[in-house]
Amino acid sequence: MIFWWIGNIVLLVVVLPVVVVLLKGVLTASKQIVPNIQAIITVASAAVKDLEPIPLLLTTQSYIIKTVETVANYGGSLDVILDDA
Amino acid sequence: MNPAAVVTILIVLVIVLALVVYLLAIIVELRTITADLNVVNAAVVTLVRQTVPVNDVVTTINRQLDAGVDLLEGLLVKKAGMTDAIGLVEGLYPAAAPKSFRKQGRPKGSVPRIGEVYTRGTLILARLGREAPIAAGNPAGVAIRDVRYASASSRLLYPDPRRETGSSRDNLPRTPVIGRDSPHQYEVKEEAYKPRKRMSADAVAPGPPPVRAPTRGPGIFGAKADPTPPPAAEPEAPEDTSGRSSAMGLRPWER
Repeated sequence: MIFWWIGNIVLLVVVLPVVVVLLKGVLTASKQIVPNIQAIITVASAAVKDLEPIPLLLTTQSYIIKTVETVANYGGSLDVILDDA
Repeated sequence: MNPAAVVTILIVLVIVLALVVYLLAIIVELRTITADLNVVNAAVVTLVRQTVPVNDVVTTINRQLDAGVDLLEGLLVKKAGMTDAIGLVEGLYPAAAPKSFRKQGRPKGSVPRIGEVYTRGTLILARLGREAPIAAGNPAGVAIRDVRYASASSRLLYPDPRRETGSSRDNLPRTPVIGRDSPHQYEVKEEAYKPRKRMSADAVAPGPPPVRAPTRGPGIFGAKADPTPPPAAEPEAPEDTSGRSSAMGLRPWER
């Protein structure tokens, strides 16, 4: 009978506080995740908007190809006009 | 019932109640996290979809630019020579020489410091027209124009009909030499290196400002005109016929 009462005291003094502390820690950690995910959402949305002009790279590519072709033609003309070293 | 058993049951109930409360709160938070992660996942998928062609496009752009750079470097090496080409690139873009002319077989060694002697414009024109002094030592030959008499040689290309009449630039006297040792010494006046003369005080002494005579009758409000007659005009100063006077005095050629 004494041991039963000792067990009850241990439950009340040790087990219950430990359970409460552990659950409270898990809850606090999960609550801290939410604002971080909100920040990630904001950044991801901004990144999506920043990457919208990526298709313009195709235009840049075509311009660069034309520019290099023009430079090649100009270099060919210079090669004919100027004397070699 | 044994009171110890009752206490045990109560304590277990409290523990279970605490577990239920906290676990429910945790479940709610995890659901919120899951919903937010779904949004993030959608955004990331969009990002990945948008950046798929970037690698190929950028690689193609770099390949094209490399081809253009190789072409220009090869042309420069062909026309100017490797040594002058390296010096030219180093002069135009400092610290760019070590990264240049790799495909042309850049030799190891010191870079000629062309940029410290000639300006950028001279460097640009150096190998284009071979008209700049830097091209005097071109192994291909002398420069097109004479380096020392470039302006005179170009002037000979055009007709100068006034050369025979004496009004040509060649027949005009040269710019006079000035200074203490000049061959022609000009007259030195006494007032040289002295403060400029000023007119005498009585000639330019300002008197009281003249009072304007009333030019209208009484005003529309019935105000009477000032009955006092206007003051007599001051006698004018004798006109200086020797020259025009100014606030600073006579002009040098009128003294």
